[in-house]
Amino acid sequence: MHLTDQHAWTNRWRQHHPAEKLLLAGGLLLCSVTLPPLTTGPVVLLVVWLATVAGAGIPAAALGRVMAVPGAFLLTSMPFLVLSVSSSEGIAFSSQGLETALRVMARSLAAIASMAFLTLTTPVIAWAPLLRRLGVPQPIVEIMLLIYRLIFVFAEQTVTTSQAQAARLGYDGIRRSLHSLGLLVASLLERSLARMRRLEIGLAARNFDGELRVLQPIYELSPWRIALIGSALLTVAAVGLLGNQLLAKVMT
Amino acid sequence: MSPIILAARDIDYVYPGHVQALQGLSLDIEQGRKLAVLGPNGSGKTTLLLHLNGTLRPQRGEILFDGRPVSYQRRALNAWRSRVGLVLQEPDDQLFSASVYQDISFGPLNQGLSALEARERVQLALAALHIEPLADRATHMLSVGQKKRVAIAGILAMRPEVLILDEPTAGLDAQGVAQLLTVLEEQRQAGTTLVFATHDVDLAYTWADGVAVFCDGRVLRQGETVAVLSDRELLHAARLKTPWLLEIVQALGGLEQPPRSQEALLDLLRQFDSHSRHERTYPRRRPFR
Repeated sequence: MHLTDQHAWTNRWRQHHPAEKLLLAGGLLLCSVTLPPLTTGPVVLLVVWLATVAGAGIPAAALGRVMAVPGAFLLTSMPFLVLSVSSSEGIAFSSQGLETALRVMARSLAAIASMAFLTLTTPVIAWAPLLRRLGVPQPIVEIMLLIYRLIFVFAEQTVTTSQAQAARLGYDGIRRSLHSLGLLVASLLERSLARMRRLEIGLAARNFDGELRVLQPIYELSPWRIALIGSALLTVAAVGLLGNQLLAKVMT
Repeated sequence: MSPIILAARDIDYVYPGHVQALQGLSLDIEQGRKLAVLGPNGSGKTTLLLHLNGTLRPQRGEILFDGRPVSYQRRALNAWRSRVGLVLQEPDDQLFSASVYQDISFGPLNQGLSALEARERVQLALAALHIEPLADRATHMLSVGQKKRVAIAGILAMRPEVLILDEPTAGLDAQGVAQLLTVLEEQRQAGTTLVFATHDVDLAYTWADGVAVFCDGRVLRQGETVAVLSDRELLHAARLKTPWLLEIVQALGGLEQPPRSQEALLDLLRQFDSHSRHERTYPRRRPFR
Protein backbone atom coordinates (compact mmCIF):
# COMPACT_ATOMS: atom_id res chain seq x y z
CA MET A 1 0.00 0.00 0.00
CA HIS A 2 2.81 2.32 0.95
CA LEU A 3 4.60 1.76 -2.37
CA THR A 4 1.45 2.09 -4.44
CA ASP A 5 0.74 5.35 -2.69
CA GLN A 6 4.25 6.58 -3.32
CA HIS A 7 3.87 5.99 -7.06
CA ALA A 8 0.56 7.83 -7.06
CA TRP A 9 2.30 10.88 -5.60
CA THR A 10 5.38 10.84 -7.76
CA ASN A 11 4.42 9.49 -11.21
CA ARG A 12 4.77 11.59 -14.35
CA TRP A 13 1.00 11.91 -14.74
CA ARG A 14 0.27 13.13 -11.20
CA GLN A 15 -0.52 16.63 -12.48
CA HIS A 16 -2.96 15.42 -15.12
CA HIS A 17 -6.62 16.01 -14.48
CA PRO A 18 -8.07 13.08 -12.46
CA ALA A 19 -11.17 13.08 -14.67
CA GLU A 20 -8.96 12.15 -17.63
CA LYS A 21 -7.61 9.16 -15.74
CA LEU A 22 -11.08 8.24 -14.56
CA LEU A 23 -12.28 8.38 -18.18
CA LEU A 24 -9.52 6.07 -19.36
CA ALA A 25 -9.85 3.63 -16.46
CA GLY A 26 -13.64 3.66 -16.57
CA GLY A 27 -13.68 3.23 -20.35
CA LEU A 28 -11.28 0.33 -20.20
CA LEU A 29 -13.29 -1.26 -17.40
CA LEU A 30 -16.45 -0.93 -19.43
CA CYS A 31 -14.76 -2.49 -22.49
CA SER A 32 -13.38 -5.40 -20.47
CA VAL A 33 -16.74 -6.15 -18.91
CA THR A 34 -18.95 -5.81 -21.98
CA LEU A 35 -16.86 -6.81 -25.02
CA PRO A 36 -15.65 -10.30 -26.00
CA PRO A 37 -12.98 -11.03 -23.39
CA LEU A 38 -10.53 -13.20 -25.32
CA THR A 39 -9.61 -10.42 -27.72
CA THR A 40 -10.46 -7.33 -25.63
CA GLY A 41 -8.62 -8.53 -22.53
CA PRO A 42 -5.13 -8.59 -24.05
CA VAL A 43 -5.64 -5.19 -25.73
CA VAL A 44 -6.80 -3.65 -22.47
CA LEU A 45 -3.73 -5.07 -20.72
CA LEU A 46 -1.55 -3.61 -23.45
CA VAL A 47 -3.14 -0.16 -23.14
CA VAL A 48 -2.81 -0.24 -19.34
CA TRP A 49 0.82 -1.21 -19.67
CA LEU A 50 1.44 1.61 -22.17
CA ALA A 51 -0.33 4.17 -19.98
CA THR A 52 1.13 3.09 -16.63
CA VAL A 53 4.65 2.07 -17.53
CA ALA A 54 5.46 3.96 -20.72
CA GLY A 55 3.24 6.96 -19.98
CA ALA A 56 3.25 7.61 -16.25
CA GLY A 57 6.69 6.10 -15.79
CA ILE A 58 5.69 3.63 -13.10
CA PRO A 59 7.87 0.49 -12.97
CA ALA A 60 6.21 -2.60 -14.45
CA ALA A 61 7.00 -4.41 -11.19
CA ALA A 62 4.76 -2.01 -9.27
CA LEU A 63 1.92 -2.67 -11.67
CA GLY A 64 2.50 -6.40 -11.25
CA ARG A 65 2.46 -6.07 -7.46
CA VAL A 66 -0.87 -4.28 -7.43
CA MET A 67 -2.37 -6.94 -9.68
CA ALA A 68 -0.78 -9.85 -7.83
CA VAL A 69 -3.20 -10.11 -4.93
CA PRO A 70 -6.48 -10.17 -6.89
CA GLY A 71 -4.61 -12.17 -9.55
CA ALA A 72 -3.77 -14.85 -7.00
CA PHE A 73 -7.42 -15.19 -6.01
CA LEU A 74 -8.25 -15.53 -9.67
CA LEU A 75 -5.71 -18.30 -10.23
CA THR A 76 -6.91 -20.34 -7.28
CA SER A 77 -10.43 -20.35 -8.67
CA MET A 78 -9.39 -21.48 -12.14
CA PRO A 79 -9.26 -25.27 -11.52
CA PHE A 80 -12.94 -25.26 -10.57
CA LEU A 81 -13.82 -23.85 -13.95
CA VAL A 82 -11.53 -26.11 -16.00
CA LEU A 83 -12.55 -29.33 -14.27
CA SER A 84 -16.10 -30.51 -14.34
CA VAL A 85 -17.65 -32.92 -11.90
CA SER A 86 -20.42 -35.24 -12.96
CA SER A 87 -21.86 -38.49 -11.61
CA SER A 88 -21.04 -40.45 -14.76
CA GLU A 89 -17.45 -39.39 -15.41
CA GLY A 90 -16.30 -38.23 -11.99
CA ILE A 91 -13.84 -35.37 -12.16
CA ALA A 92 -13.00 -34.60 -15.76
CA PHE A 93 -11.18 -32.04 -17.83
CA SER A 94 -13.47 -30.29 -20.28
CA SER A 95 -12.47 -28.15 -23.25
CA GLN A 96 -15.54 -26.04 -22.74
CA GLY A 97 -14.45 -25.50 -19.18
CA LEU A 98 -11.04 -24.43 -20.39
CA GLU A 99 -12.58 -21.85 -22.68
CA THR A 100 -14.77 -20.51 -19.88
CA ALA A 101 -11.74 -20.30 -17.63
CA LEU A 102 -9.78 -18.37 -20.23
CA ARG A 103 -12.64 -15.94 -20.74
CA VAL A 104 -13.04 -15.32 -17.03
CA MET A 105 -9.32 -14.92 -16.68
CA ALA A 106 -9.01 -12.42 -19.54
CA ARG A 107 -12.00 -10.41 -18.40
CA SER A 108 -10.96 -10.25 -14.74
CA LEU A 109 -7.34 -9.43 -15.42
CA ALA A 110 -8.31 -6.62 -17.78
CA ALA A 111 -10.72 -5.19 -15.21
CA ILE A 112 -8.15 -5.42 -12.43
CA ALA A 113 -5.54 -3.75 -14.62
CA SER A 114 -7.86 -0.83 -15.41
CA MET A 115 -8.33 -0.19 -11.71
CA ALA A 116 -4.65 -0.69 -10.98
CA PHE A 117 -3.84 2.06 -13.47
CA LEU A 118 -6.15 4.43 -11.62
CA THR A 119 -4.80 3.69 -8.13
CA LEU A 120 -1.19 3.90 -9.26
CA THR A 121 -1.48 7.25 -11.03
CA THR A 122 -3.95 9.24 -8.92
CA PRO A 123 -2.91 10.62 -5.50
CA VAL A 124 -5.55 10.98 -2.82
CA ILE A 125 -5.70 14.78 -3.00
CA ALA A 126 -6.84 14.53 -6.62
CA TRP A 127 -9.80 12.43 -5.47
CA ALA A 128 -11.17 14.96 -3.00
CA PRO A 129 -12.45 17.58 -5.47
CA LEU A 130 -13.68 14.83 -7.77
CA LEU A 131 -15.67 13.18 -4.97
CA ARG A 132 -17.13 16.54 -3.98
CA ARG A 133 -18.26 17.10 -7.54
CA LEU A 134 -19.81 13.65 -7.60
CA GLY A 135 -21.95 14.73 -4.65
CA VAL A 136 -20.15 13.14 -1.69
CA PRO A 137 -20.76 15.39 1.38
CA GLN A 138 -17.86 17.51 2.57
CA PRO A 139 -17.61 15.94 6.06
CA ILE A 140 -17.24 12.47 4.54
CA VAL A 141 -14.45 13.64 2.24
CA GLU A 142 -12.73 15.38 5.17
CA ILE A 143 -12.90 12.27 7.33
CA MET A 144 -11.58 10.19 4.45
CA LEU A 145 -8.59 12.48 3.98
CA LEU A 146 -7.90 12.71 7.71
CA ILE A 147 -7.98 8.93 8.05
CA TYR A 148 -5.66 8.65 5.07
CA ARG A 149 -3.18 11.00 6.74
CA LEU A 150 -3.43 9.25 10.11
CA ILE A 151 -2.97 5.78 8.62
CA PHE A 152 0.64 6.64 7.95
CA VAL A 153 1.19 8.15 11.39
CA PHE A 154 -0.22 5.02 13.05
CA ALA A 155 1.57 2.67 10.68
CA GLU A 156 4.82 4.31 11.71
CA GLN A 157 3.86 4.08 15.37
CA THR A 158 2.96 0.42 15.00
CA VAL A 159 6.26 -0.41 13.33
CA THR A 160 8.40 1.40 15.90
CA THR A 161 6.46 0.05 18.88
CA SER A 162 6.58 -3.53 17.65
CA GLN A 163 10.28 -3.17 16.89
CA ALA A 164 10.84 -1.90 20.41
CA GLN A 165 8.89 -4.87 21.76
CA ALA A 166 10.86 -7.30 19.62
CA ALA A 167 14.11 -5.75 20.86
CA ARG A 168 13.03 -6.79 24.35
CA LEU A 169 12.14 -10.30 23.18
CA GLY A 170 8.42 -9.57 23.14
CA TYR A 171 7.77 -11.81 20.16
CA ASP A 172 9.54 -14.94 21.35
CA GLY A 173 6.99 -17.71 21.15
CA ILE A 174 3.26 -17.63 20.56
CA ARG A 175 2.16 -16.87 24.11
CA ARG A 176 4.47 -13.90 24.47
CA SER A 177 3.67 -12.69 20.95
CA LEU A 178 -0.04 -12.63 21.71
CA HIS A 179 0.60 -10.80 24.96
CA SER A 180 2.83 -8.23 23.24
CA LEU A 181 0.32 -7.78 20.45
CA GLY A 182 -2.37 -7.01 23.01
CA LEU A 183 -0.16 -4.43 24.66
CA LEU A 184 0.64 -2.94 21.26
CA VAL A 185 -3.02 -2.51 20.39
CA ALA A 186 -3.78 -1.02 23.79
CA SER A 187 -0.92 1.46 23.51
CA LEU A 188 -1.99 2.44 20.01
CA LEU A 189 -5.48 3.22 21.20
CA GLU A 190 -4.22 5.33 24.05
CA ARG A 191 -1.73 7.16 21.90
CA SER A 192 -4.28 7.77 19.19
CA LEU A 193 -6.55 9.49 21.66
CA ALA A 194 -3.69 11.60 23.01
CA ARG A 195 -2.61 12.46 19.49
CA MET A 196 -6.13 13.43 18.56
CA ARG A 197 -6.22 15.90 21.44
CA ARG A 198 -2.90 17.42 20.39
CA LEU A 199 -4.02 17.64 16.77
CA GLU A 200 -7.01 19.58 17.97
CA ILE A 201 -4.71 22.06 19.72
CA GLY A 202 -2.58 22.34 16.58
CA LEU A 203 -5.62 22.97 14.40
CA ALA A 204 -7.06 25.47 16.88
CA ALA A 205 -3.79 27.42 16.69
CA ARG A 206 -4.63 27.94 13.03
CA ASN A 207 -8.20 29.13 13.67
CA PHE A 208 -9.92 25.80 12.95
CA ASP A 209 -13.68 26.37 13.03
CA GLY A 210 -15.05 22.95 12.22
CA GLU A 211 -14.28 22.77 8.53
CA LEU A 212 -10.95 21.64 7.11
CA ARG A 213 -10.68 24.22 4.35
CA VAL A 214 -7.63 23.83 2.13
CA LEU A 215 -6.68 24.97 -1.33
CA GLN A 216 -7.52 22.37 -3.93
CA PRO A 217 -4.91 21.60 -6.55
CA ILE A 218 -5.67 23.06 -9.96
CA TYR A 219 -5.79 20.55 -12.80
CA GLU A 220 -6.36 21.44 -16.41
CA LEU A 221 -8.23 19.29 -18.84
CA SER A 222 -6.22 18.84 -22.00
CA PRO A 223 -8.32 18.48 -25.18
CA TRP A 224 -5.68 16.49 -26.97
CA ARG A 225 -5.24 14.07 -24.07
CA ILE A 226 -9.00 13.52 -23.98
CA ALA A 227 -8.96 12.93 -27.74
CA LEU A 228 -6.11 10.47 -27.28
CA ILE A 229 -8.01 8.62 -24.54
CA GLY A 230 -11.12 8.56 -26.75
CA SER A 231 -9.26 7.12 -29.69
CA ALA A 232 -7.52 4.58 -27.45
CA LEU A 233 -10.88 3.40 -26.15
CA LEU A 234 -12.31 3.22 -29.67
CA THR A 235 -9.30 1.22 -30.81
CA VAL A 236 -9.70 -1.18 -27.89
CA ALA A 237 -13.38 -1.64 -28.72
CA ALA A 238 -12.69 -2.12 -32.44
CA VAL A 239 -9.89 -4.62 -31.91
CA GLY A 240 -12.01 -6.44 -29.35
CA LEU A 241 -15.00 -6.77 -31.64
CA LEU A 242 -13.29 -7.34 -35.00
CA GLY A 243 -10.71 -9.63 -33.49
CA ASN A 244 -13.47 -11.71 -32.00
CA GLN A 245 -15.11 -12.17 -35.43
CA LEU A 246 -11.77 -13.16 -36.89
CA LEU A 247 -11.20 -15.58 -34.05
CA ALA A 248 -14.61 -17.13 -34.60
CA LYS A 249 -13.79 -17.66 -38.31
CA VAL A 250 -10.45 -19.25 -37.53
CA MET A 251 -12.01 -21.55 -34.96
CA THR A 252 -14.67 -22.85 -37.38
CA MET B 1 13.27 48.72 26.15
CA SER B 2 10.88 47.63 23.43
CA PRO B 3 7.14 47.68 24.14
CA ILE B 4 5.71 44.54 25.69
CA ILE B 5 3.41 42.83 23.22
CA LEU B 6 2.33 39.82 25.22
CA ALA B 7 2.54 39.21 28.96
CA ALA B 8 1.48 36.72 31.59
CA ARG B 9 0.62 38.16 35.00
CA ASP B 10 0.81 35.88 38.00
CA ILE B 11 -0.97 32.96 36.36
CA ASP B 12 -1.86 29.62 37.93
CA TYR B 13 -2.86 26.47 36.11
CA VAL B 14 -3.67 23.12 37.65
CA TYR B 15 -4.35 20.11 35.43
CA PRO B 16 -7.19 17.79 36.35
CA GLY B 17 -5.77 15.34 38.87
CA HIS B 18 -4.18 18.16 40.87
CA VAL B 19 -1.00 18.45 38.85
CA GLN B 20 0.14 21.99 39.43
CA ALA B 21 1.64 23.08 36.09
CA LEU B 22 1.93 26.84 36.58
CA GLN B 23 2.17 28.64 39.87
CA GLY B 24 2.21 32.43 39.99
CA LEU B 25 3.97 32.70 36.66
CA SER B 26 4.78 36.09 35.13
CA LEU B 27 6.46 36.66 31.81
CA ASP B 28 7.01 39.65 29.50
CA ILE B 29 7.44 39.28 25.76
CA GLU B 30 9.06 42.32 24.18
CA GLN B 31 8.17 43.22 20.64
CA GLY B 32 10.68 42.36 17.93
CA ARG B 33 13.05 40.40 20.16
CA LYS B 34 14.03 36.78 20.59
CA LEU B 35 13.04 35.33 23.94
CA ALA B 36 14.09 31.89 25.13
CA VAL B 37 11.94 30.21 27.77
CA LEU B 38 14.52 27.98 29.35
CA GLY B 39 13.62 25.13 31.64
CA PRO B 40 14.18 21.43 32.28
CA ASN B 41 11.90 18.77 30.82
CA GLY B 42 8.52 18.52 32.46
CA SER B 43 8.71 21.97 34.01
CA GLY B 44 5.50 23.15 32.36
CA LYS B 45 6.96 25.02 29.37
CA THR B 46 4.39 23.63 26.96
CA THR B 47 1.57 24.51 29.36
CA LEU B 48 2.83 28.07 29.43
CA LEU B 49 2.97 28.28 25.63
CA LEU B 50 -0.59 26.97 25.40
CA HIS B 51 -1.64 29.91 27.56
CA LEU B 52 0.06 32.36 25.22
CA ASN B 53 -2.31 31.63 22.33
CA GLY B 54 -5.42 31.06 24.40
CA THR B 55 -5.55 27.27 24.14
CA LEU B 56 -5.56 27.07 27.93
CA ARG B 57 -7.12 29.65 30.18
CA PRO B 58 -5.37 30.53 33.44
CA GLN B 59 -7.29 29.68 36.60
CA ARG B 60 -5.83 32.72 38.29
CA GLY B 61 -4.01 35.76 36.92
CA GLU B 62 -4.29 37.04 33.38
CA ILE B 63 -2.74 37.25 29.95
CA LEU B 64 -2.20 40.73 28.54
CA PHE B 65 -2.00 41.34 24.81
CA ASP B 66 -0.94 44.84 23.79
CA GLY B 67 -1.32 45.75 27.46
CA ARG B 68 -4.99 44.76 27.61
CA PRO B 69 -6.46 41.65 29.23
CA VAL B 70 -7.45 39.16 26.56
CA SER B 71 -10.95 37.93 25.84
CA TYR B 72 -11.73 34.24 25.33
CA GLN B 73 -14.69 34.86 23.04
CA ARG B 74 -14.49 32.93 19.81
CA ARG B 75 -13.95 35.98 17.61
CA ALA B 76 -11.37 37.47 19.92
CA LEU B 77 -9.58 34.13 20.13
CA ASN B 78 -9.37 33.93 16.35
CA ALA B 79 -7.93 37.43 16.13
CA TRP B 80 -5.46 36.55 18.90
CA ARG B 81 -4.33 33.35 17.19
CA SER B 82 -3.94 35.18 13.90
CA ARG B 83 -1.45 37.47 15.58
CA VAL B 84 0.24 34.90 17.83
CA GLY B 85 1.30 31.74 15.97
CA LEU B 86 2.12 28.60 17.93
CA VAL B 87 4.23 25.79 16.46
CA LEU B 88 3.90 22.54 18.40
CA GLN B 89 6.91 20.39 19.21
CA GLU B 90 5.70 17.33 17.30
CA PRO B 91 4.95 18.29 13.66
CA ASP B 92 2.73 15.23 13.20
CA ASP B 93 0.38 16.80 15.76
CA GLN B 94 -0.06 19.77 13.48
CA LEU B 95 0.03 18.45 9.91
CA PHE B 96 -3.38 17.03 9.14
CA SER B 97 -3.45 17.26 5.37
CA ALA B 98 -2.20 14.74 2.85
CA SER B 99 -0.30 17.35 0.89
CA VAL B 100 2.20 19.98 2.02
CA TYR B 101 0.62 22.70 -0.08
CA GLN B 102 -2.86 22.06 1.28
CA ASP B 103 -1.66 21.96 4.84
CA ILE B 104 0.00 25.36 4.58
CA SER B 105 -3.12 26.83 2.95
CA PHE B 106 -5.28 25.88 5.96
CA GLY B 107 -4.48 28.85 8.23
CA PRO B 108 -4.80 31.62 5.60
CA LEU B 109 -8.15 30.23 4.42
CA ASN B 110 -9.40 30.15 8.03
CA GLN B 111 -8.40 33.80 8.31
CA GLY B 112 -10.97 34.44 5.61
CA LEU B 113 -8.56 35.15 2.78
CA SER B 114 -9.58 34.43 -0.80
CA ALA B 115 -8.10 31.45 -2.62
CA LEU B 116 -5.93 33.83 -4.63
CA GLU B 117 -4.51 35.56 -1.56
CA ALA B 118 -4.07 32.22 0.18
CA ARG B 119 -2.07 30.90 -2.77
CA GLU B 120 0.22 33.90 -2.52
CA ARG B 121 0.64 33.37 1.24
CA VAL B 122 1.48 29.70 0.69
CA GLN B 123 4.09 30.59 -1.94
CA LEU B 124 5.69 33.16 0.35
CA ALA B 125 5.72 30.77 3.31
CA LEU B 126 7.28 28.04 1.16
CA ALA B 127 9.92 30.52 0.01
CA ALA B 128 10.59 31.79 3.54
CA LEU B 129 11.43 28.28 4.72
CA HIS B 130 13.20 27.33 1.49
CA ILE B 131 10.92 24.36 0.93
CA GLU B 132 9.44 25.16 -2.49
CA PRO B 133 10.46 21.73 -3.83
CA LEU B 134 8.29 20.09 -1.16
CA ALA B 135 5.10 21.88 -2.21
CA ASP B 136 3.56 18.97 -4.09
CA ARG B 137 4.87 16.23 -1.84
CA ALA B 138 2.83 13.99 0.42
CA THR B 139 3.11 14.98 4.08
CA HIS B 140 3.83 11.43 5.21
CA MET B 141 6.87 11.11 2.94
CA LEU B 142 8.80 13.92 4.60
CA SER B 143 11.66 13.62 7.08
CA VAL B 144 11.24 15.00 10.60
CA GLY B 145 13.20 18.14 9.73
CA GLN B 146 11.11 18.72 6.62
CA LYS B 147 7.88 18.18 8.55
CA LYS B 148 9.03 20.67 11.11
CA ARG B 149 9.61 23.30 8.46
CA VAL B 150 6.23 22.62 6.88
CA ALA B 151 4.61 23.02 10.31
CA ILE B 152 6.35 26.38 10.74
CA ALA B 153 5.37 27.43 7.20
CA GLY B 154 1.75 26.64 8.06
CA ILE B 155 1.93 29.17 10.89
CA LEU B 156 4.03 31.76 9.03
CA ALA B 157 1.48 31.78 6.19
CA MET B 158 -0.88 33.41 8.71
CA ARG B 159 1.59 36.30 9.17
CA PRO B 160 1.72 36.26 12.97
CA GLU B 161 3.37 39.14 14.82
CA VAL B 162 4.57 36.75 17.50
CA LEU B 163 5.90 33.33 16.57
CA ILE B 164 6.03 30.84 19.44
CA LEU B 165 7.92 27.59 18.99
CA ASP B 166 7.94 24.63 21.38
CA GLU B 167 11.37 22.97 21.38
CA PRO B 168 12.03 23.98 17.76
CA THR B 169 15.34 22.11 17.51
CA ALA B 170 14.17 18.81 19.05
CA GLY B 171 14.76 15.93 16.69
CA LEU B 172 16.78 17.94 14.18
CA ASP B 173 20.36 17.19 13.15
CA ALA B 174 23.06 19.87 13.36
CA GLN B 175 22.46 21.06 9.81
CA GLY B 176 18.72 21.10 10.35
CA VAL B 177 19.17 23.25 13.45
CA ALA B 178 21.43 25.69 11.58
CA GLN B 179 18.95 26.01 8.70
CA LEU B 180 16.05 26.51 11.09
CA LEU B 181 17.86 29.23 13.01
CA THR B 182 18.68 31.03 9.76
CA VAL B 183 15.04 30.97 8.74
CA LEU B 184 13.92 32.23 12.15
CA GLU B 185 16.51 34.99 12.09
CA GLU B 186 15.14 36.11 8.71
CA GLN B 187 11.70 36.27 10.26
CA ARG B 188 12.95 38.36 13.14
CA GLN B 189 14.66 40.75 10.72
CA ALA B 190 11.27 41.13 9.08
CA GLY B 191 9.90 42.25 12.43
CA THR B 192 8.42 39.08 13.93
CA THR B 193 8.74 38.60 17.68
CA LEU B 194 10.12 35.15 18.47
CA VAL B 195 9.56 33.05 21.57
CA PHE B 196 10.94 29.57 21.90
CA ALA B 197 10.82 27.05 24.69
CA THR B 198 13.93 24.93 25.08
CA HIS B 199 16.03 23.06 27.60
CA ASP B 200 19.16 23.74 25.53
CA VAL B 201 21.12 26.41 27.41
CA ASP B 202 23.77 26.66 24.66
CA LEU B 203 21.13 27.40 22.05
CA ALA B 204 19.52 30.01 24.30
CA TYR B 205 22.89 31.61 25.03
CA THR B 206 24.02 31.95 21.43
CA TRP B 207 20.66 32.87 19.99
CA ALA B 208 18.30 34.68 22.34
CA ASP B 209 18.19 38.39 23.19
CA GLY B 210 16.47 37.65 26.46
CA VAL B 211 16.01 34.57 28.62
CA ALA B 212 13.34 33.54 31.08
CA VAL B 213 14.50 30.74 33.36
CA PHE B 214 11.59 28.56 34.17
CA CYS B 215 11.25 25.90 36.80
CA ASP B 216 8.42 24.16 38.64
CA GLY B 217 5.74 26.32 37.09
CA ARG B 218 7.33 29.70 37.75
CA VAL B 219 9.72 32.06 36.00
CA LEU B 220 12.65 32.30 38.41
CA ARG B 221 14.25 35.18 36.55
CA GLN B 222 13.83 36.99 33.27
CA GLY B 223 16.40 39.34 31.79
CA GLU B 224 19.24 39.87 29.34
CA THR B 225 20.76 36.60 28.17
CA VAL B 226 24.31 37.04 29.47
CA ALA B 227 23.29 38.42 32.82
CA VAL B 228 20.77 35.65 33.50
CA LEU B 229 22.89 32.77 32.25
CA SER B 230 25.93 33.93 34.24
CA ASP B 231 23.98 33.29 37.42
CA ARG B 232 25.22 29.84 38.43
CA GLU B 233 23.03 29.43 41.47
CA LEU B 234 19.93 30.27 39.49
CA LEU B 235 20.74 27.73 36.80
CA HIS B 236 21.48 25.10 39.39
CA ALA B 237 18.16 25.75 41.09
CA ALA B 238 16.44 25.30 37.73
CA ARG B 239 18.28 22.00 37.07
CA LEU B 240 20.15 23.56 34.14
CA LYS B 241 23.86 23.88 33.40
CA THR B 242 25.93 26.90 32.46
CA PRO B 243 26.41 27.31 28.67
CA TRP B 244 29.79 25.90 27.64
CA LEU B 245 30.97 29.23 26.22
CA LEU B 246 30.34 30.95 29.55
CA GLU B 247 31.89 27.99 31.37
CA ILE B 248 35.15 28.54 29.48
CA VAL B 249 35.11 32.30 29.93
CA GLN B 250 34.46 31.94 33.64
CA ALA B 251 37.25 29.37 33.96
CA LEU B 252 39.63 31.85 32.31
CA GLY B 253 38.76 34.49 34.85
CA GLY B 254 35.67 36.11 33.35
CA LEU B 255 35.17 38.90 30.85
CA GLU B 256 33.13 42.06 30.75
CA GLN B 257 31.57 41.05 27.43
CA PRO B 258 31.79 37.30 27.03
CA PRO B 259 31.74 35.91 23.45
CA ARG B 260 28.30 34.83 22.28
CA SER B 261 29.41 32.33 19.65
CA GLN B 262 32.11 29.78 19.01
CA GLU B 263 33.64 32.07 16.33
CA ALA B 264 33.79 34.99 18.74
CA LEU B 265 35.50 32.82 21.33
CA LEU B 266 38.04 31.58 18.77
CA ASP B 267 38.80 35.15 17.69
CA LEU B 268 39.37 36.05 21.28
CA LEU B 269 41.68 33.09 21.79
CA ARG B 270 43.66 33.96 18.65
CA GLN B 271 44.23 37.49 19.92
CA PHE B 272 45.29 36.07 23.23
CA ASP B 273 47.57 33.62 21.46
CA SER B 274 49.29 36.26 19.32
CA HIS B 275 49.99 38.38 22.41
CA SER B 276 51.56 35.53 24.31
CA ARG B 277 53.68 34.42 21.36
CA HIS B 278 54.99 37.89 20.76
CA GLU B 279 58.52 37.14 21.88
CA ARG B 280 58.93 33.80 20.13
CA THR B 281 61.06 33.43 17.04
CA TYR B 282 59.46 30.64 15.04
CA PRO B 283 57.30 31.83 12.16
CA ARG B 284 53.63 32.18 12.96
CA ARG B 285 50.92 30.93 10.74
CA ARG B 286 49.98 33.64 8.28
CA PRO B 287 46.79 35.34 9.32
CA PHE B 288 43.95 35.16 6.85
CA ARG B 289 44.08 37.78 4.08
